[in-house]
Amino acid sequence: MIRFPRRSLFAAAGLLALPALGLAGPARAQDNARATQFIQATGQELVAALNDTRADLATRRQKVAAVLRRAVDIEGVGRFILGRWWRQATPQQQQEYMKLFEETLIRNLSARFGEYQGVRFSLGRSQQRTEEDVLVNTIIERPNTAPFSLDWRVSEVGGQPRVVDVIAEGTSLRLTQRSEYSSVIQRNNGSIQALLQAMQGQIAQLAQREQQSR
Amino acid sequence: MRLMPPNAPLLALALAVALLAGCATRPDPADPDAVAEFEQNNDPAEPFNRTMYDVHQGIDRVVLRPVASAYRGVVPQPVRTGIRNVLGNLRTPVILANDMLQGEPRRAGDTLGRFVVNTTLGVAGIFDVASSLFGVRGHTEDYGQTLARWGVGEGPYLFIPVLGPSNPRDLTGFGLGIAGDPLTWVGQGVAVDVLTGVRGGMTVVDTRESLLDALDDVERTSLDPYATLRSAYRQRRAAEIRNAGQAAPAAAGGTGFGVGTGVTPER
Repeated sequence: MIRFPRRSLFAAAGLLALPALGLAGPARAQDNARATQFIQATGQELVAALNDTRADLATRRQKVAAVLRRAVDIEGVGRFILGRWWRQATPQQQQEYMKLFEETLIRNLSARFGEYQGVRFSLGRSQQRTEEDVLVNTIIERPNTAPFSLDWRVSEVGGQPRVVDVIAEGTSLRLTQRSEYSSVIQRNNGSIQALLQAMQGQIAQLAQREQQSR
Repeated sequence: MRLMPPNAPLLALALAVALLAGCATRPDPADPDAVAEFEQNNDPAEPFNRTMYDVHQGIDRVVLRPVASAYRGVVPQPVRTGIRNVLGNLRTPVILANDMLQGEPRRAGDTLGRFVVNTTLGVAGIFDVASSLFGVRGHTEDYGQTLARWGVGEGPYLFIPVLGPSNPRDLTGFGLGIAGDPLTWVGQGVAVDVLTGVRGGMTVVDTRESLLDALDDVERTSLDPYATLRSAYRQRRAAEIRNAGQAAPAAAGGTGFGVGTGVTPER
């Protein structure tokens, strides 16, 4: 019932935006450059934080967390990943989920500090535009490992460029993770609490790995 | 590769029976989100597939992973690259046929040129000089992709032990790839059998080795590795069919875990 008016509002917004489409050409090119620049800057920051071996673990993790909080649309991505279960979650569960989701994101990187030692990154060849966002291609190189390519989906969120997805070799991380989380909930008879517990367990494991990877 | 079972129809029947026995319960039709997700996952035989996944994990833990890990530990990187290049070069007939069946003359030309250059200058395909000297990178193609281009739907998701994630279309393509490969039919005798056996075995080991880190990571970090693999396979396969993005190496198989492994970025 709530969805219908929202949808028509969306359509109205689309109609209002139509006259602006004529101007979209140069604006798009600018978006492209802006997104690329944003990824370049964020990537440098992240690589610097990952490679800063003088700092202790907690400091490095805080640095990485600060970069991620600034660069990633954590709220939007988190909601996207929980998908249809977001509306079924209680406000407390939503809050708890967001906290755990952010922690998972950060710990997933900090648990790999060892692996990412000496990581380098550069912009790849193709930067392409889609309807709502820009895909910025980068190449990640680690010592003794074959280089691989990552695409960063950059969207405008609240007037600022923000990462909304990471795509590795045609696989979108947010889609894969949505499938994973939903599967956990479903296999526990629709219990969102079960997912939250599993996420807590995962964070504990990642924290343990972080200690070992030093 | 002699992977086709001698009694394919019987196996198909057994598979169909097992599938029927292992059907997932459809979601409540009154819940449109749940129905949408069920269709999105495209996995009506999920219970059966999960059992097959467990079977695979058992085999993987005891045989595939240890062998791949030992292969990485014992054989130095340049040699492994050489082996991968040879396997990719041997896949030329399949890739070329599918380039043509999809009406891609440019890609077919690349494939043919690469074969000629790599087989001669590249010493029987050990060195990928077509890529390093001439800048013509390899790509993978298979009958599953061609069927997709021709409008054949993928069918329900399937997980096949050892082979990995698949579906009826890609599995058919896999069979066609073996049946349509001239190397399957060249000559007879012990030597040929040994060579095709070695090639098949090396393909499995090479594929598993290239996936060591990725699969370890999924195992370690995913809350539901089965669901993660299913999603990843289907997305990746869709990207391959579109011929989008980075080219997968020629050695990558057309179905299962081999899809798009070890993509090296273009710069």
